[in-house]
Amino acid sequence: MLLIPSLKGKTKYSDISTIADSKDFYMPLDAYRNVMTPVVSIGERVKKYQLLAQSEGTFASKLHAPVSGTVTAFFQLNGKQMIHLQNDFLNLETLTFPVEPTGLTKEEFMDVLLDNGIQGAGGSQFPTQLKYNIQDRQIRTVIFNGAECEPYLTSDFVLMREKADELIKAAQVIRTVLNAQKIVFAVERHNIAVRKILLKNASNLGVEIEVKILSDGYPQGGELQLIKSVTGLEIRKGSFPADHGILVNNIGTLWAIYKALFEGRPNIERIITVSGNGCQHLGNYRIKIGTPIIHILRETNNNWNPDLQTIVLGGAMMGKSVESPLVPVHKGSGGLLIMRKTKIEKNNCIKCGLCVDVCPQHLMPLEFVRHNLSSDVPELKKFSLQDCIECGACAYVCPSDVPLMENIFDGKKKLFQ
Amino acid sequence: MNSNPYIKPRFNGTQMVMLDVIIALMPLIFVGWLAYGTIMLQQICVAIVTGLVSEFLFSSILLKKYNTILDGSAVVTALLLTLTLSPVTPWYILSFGVFSAILFGKIVWGGLGKNRFNPALVGREFMAVFFASVMTSPNIWKTSDLVQTSAPELFPGIDYPYLSDYLNSVIFKTTGAMGEYSILCIALGGLYLLVRNRISWHIPLSLLGTFTLLVGLSGGDGLRYSLGGILLGTIFMATDMPSSPTTGNGKLYYGLMIGIVIFIFLKGGIQYEYMSYSILLLNGFSDQASVVFRPRTWGETLDYKRKTEEIFILTLKILGVAFAVLSLYYYELVNYLVYLYILYIIIKFNFSFSNKVSNAI
Repeated sequence: MLLIPSLKGKTKYSDISTIADSKDFYMPLDAYRNVMTPVVSIGERVKKYQLLAQSEGTFASKLHAPVSGTVTAFFQLNGKQMIHLQNDFLNLETLTFPVEPTGLTKEEFMDVLLDNGIQGAGGSQFPTQLKYNIQDRQIRTVIFNGAECEPYLTSDFVLMREKADELIKAAQVIRTVLNAQKIVFAVERHNIAVRKILLKNASNLGVEIEVKILSDGYPQGGELQLIKSVTGLEIRKGSFPADHGILVNNIGTLWAIYKALFEGRPNIERIITVSGNGCQHLGNYRIKIGTPIIHILRETNNNWNPDLQTIVLGGAMMGKSVESPLVPVHKGSGGLLIMRKTKIEKNNCIKCGLCVDVCPQHLMPLEFVRHNLSSDVPELKKFSLQDCIECGACAYVCPSDVPLMENIFDGKKKLFQ
Repeated sequence: MNSNPYIKPRFNGTQMVMLDVIIALMPLIFVGWLAYGTIMLQQICVAIVTGLVSEFLFSSILLKKYNTILDGSAVVTALLLTLTLSPVTPWYILSFGVFSAILFGKIVWGGLGKNRFNPALVGREFMAVFFASVMTSPNIWKTSDLVQTSAPELFPGIDYPYLSDYLNSVIFKTTGAMGEYSILCIALGGLYLLVRNRISWHIPLSLLGTFTLLVGLSGGDGLRYSLGGILLGTIFMATDMPSSPTTGNGKLYYGLMIGIVIFIFLKGGIQYEYMSYSILLLNGFSDQASVVFRPRTWGETLDYKRKTEEIFILTLKILGVAFAVLSLYYYELVNYLVYLYILYIIIKFNFSFSNKVSNAI
C-alpha cells in the first residue's frame, strides 16, 4: 500500500475545543444520492434539534436545527440547495429523550438512527440505518473504523482519546442489538497510543473489545481494505458486508450514535480538524453542521487568501475544494484544510505504472484516462472503473500530474448514465 | 488544482525521473571517458546538441509544444543511443541517429510517453538501415589504437587467462560499444534506478533469469553475445517506461519473452542487433501484455481458463513475429520493416496522433 508521510503531528495532541456559534447557518440539503425537502417554512422560528428537512425512500435522511432561530430563506449556493437559518442566540431546545438501551430491537435501533439524522461521518454521508438493515443476516464482527488514513486528519484520533468511554458505551449497545460475536476498534500503527485508553475504558465498563493495530498504508481506512486487514476477507466493491457477517462504522458515526442513544440528541455537530500546510492556527474543533467556513476561519484566527490557498473540506487526499467561503460544513467533513496552491505541470503519461502499483483496488487508473478521453464505455467497464473507490492514490503518485481523478469522475458519470 | 488529492510528494516529477536516469548513466560515461578520453565526450556532446535541437524544432512545429526540451527526455534518448554505438561512429551518422530517434521514435507518436517503441533503439535501426555500409563494416569496431587507458591487469594472481579476462571485463574493458566497458558500472546505475524506484525489479530479473536459464540449458555452445550489451539493454532499454508494460505481472512476462526472443535470435545467427530487435519486438506487444496481465480486481474471482488462453495466444503471436523477423533477416529484408515503419507512422500522425496531442495519454 502507498505510504504517505503523516502530517498529523500538528494537531494530534491538541484537545477538542469549541468555537462560538455562527450567526448564520447554511443547512445543506444534499444527502446521499438524494436531496432533502424542507419541512419548515420561511419565517418560521425553530428550536435547536428541531427537524428541518428530510428525504424518503431507501436513502432516507434527516437534518436538524443546530441552534434556535429563524428560517429566513431557501437558496442555492454553488448549485447546492441550502436552508438559511439565522441564529437568535437564545438556545431554545426541543425536549430530548434518551433511549432505553436494554431490549432495543434492530428495527427500533434503525429508527433511532434515522430520526437522529445519523449519516456516515467518514465522508460519504451514507445513511447509517441502511447498514443495519440486515434482515436475518448474522453479524459476527462489528468494526469501528478508527483507521484515519488521511494524512492531516486527527478528528477520529482525538475522539478515541477523549471520548473513549462514550464510544465504548455506544459500541456495547450496537453489539447487543446485533447480537454480534465481537467488536473491533481498528487503529493504525501511528495512532497506537489510543489502544491503552480504549482497553482501559472498556475494562472499567466491563465491555469486551478488541483493538486491532493496522499498518500505516493508504487507504487503510477504506471500508474494503479495512475489512481485509481486520478479518482477512477480500470483498468486492458493491457487495454488502453484512453478507459476510461484517458491519463497519466510522468512529465519528459511533460518537453521533452515542449522543442519539444516551442523550437523545440528533446529529448536529461533529469534530473537525483545522489544519493544512497554509494554515496558521491548527486544532481539533467541535463544530455544528451548517457552520459556514468563513466563520470557522474567523474564530480560529485563520486567513484565506484565495489567490494563494485552496480551502479543502475533508482530507487532503479525498476532500473537495470549496469555491466560496460561505460553503457550510456537512456531516461527512472530517477536516478543513488550508492548502497552499501549487503549480502543477501537466505532462503526458509516461506509463511508469506507479498508479497501477498503488491502486488499493488493483485497477489500472491510466487506462481510465485513455478510455474516458475516447468515451469508450465498454472498455471503462472492462477495466472495472465501477470498482474504483476514488481514494486518489494514483493521482498522488503520478509523476506527470495526469488528471486521473477528473477523468475517473467523468468516466463514472458516463458509466452510470 | 481543481480536483483531489491536494498534496503531492516532492521531487517526483517527470523531470526528476529523467534526471535520475542521467545520474545512473554517469558512471558509464566516466568509464567511457577513461577509455577513450575526449573522443567519448565529443560523441556525447554531438548527440545531446542534436537531440535538443531536434526536440525543440519538431516539438514546436508538429506538436505546438515549446518547452519540451526542459523535460530531459531528449538528453536521455541521446545518451542511451550514443552508449550503444562504437566510439568511432562518424559524427554525422550519430547526429542522424539522434535526429531519427527524436523525430521518428517519439515526436510523431505525439510526444513523450506516447511512443510505442524505445526511441533510442529506433534511432539505432535507422542508422543501421540508412548507413548500412559504415555501421556494419568490421572497421567500426577497430578502436584499439585510440584507447587512452588500456585495461589494466587486475587479477595477476589468477593463472587461468580465460577467467582473469572475464573478471577484467566485468570491471573495465575497452572493446565494444561505448556503454559496455564496465559491467560493474551498468549494474551500479541499475541499482541506483532500483533504489530510486525509477525501474522495477520485474523486467531485469525475468529477462536475465530466462536468458541465463536458456543459455545454461543449451550449453551455450556457439552463442556469441556481449554480456555488457545485454545488461545495458536490460537495465536501460527494456525498462524504458513508455515502451514497457505497466503492470507487475505484465513486466515479468515481458522480460521473460525478451529473454526467449534474444535466445532465438542468437541461435538464428543475428549478430549485432539481437538485443535491439528483441526489445523492439516486445515493445510492440507491451500494451497487450499490460492488459492480459492486468491485476485481479479487489474481490474478483479470476477465470483462469480464459486467462491461460489469452496468455497462450499472446505468446504464439510474439513467437510468430520473432520467427518472421528471423526469416526477414536471412533474406536481408529487415530494411523494408524500417521503410514500412516510416510510412505507417507518417500516415498515423497525419490522421490520428496529431489530433490527440493535448491528451495526456
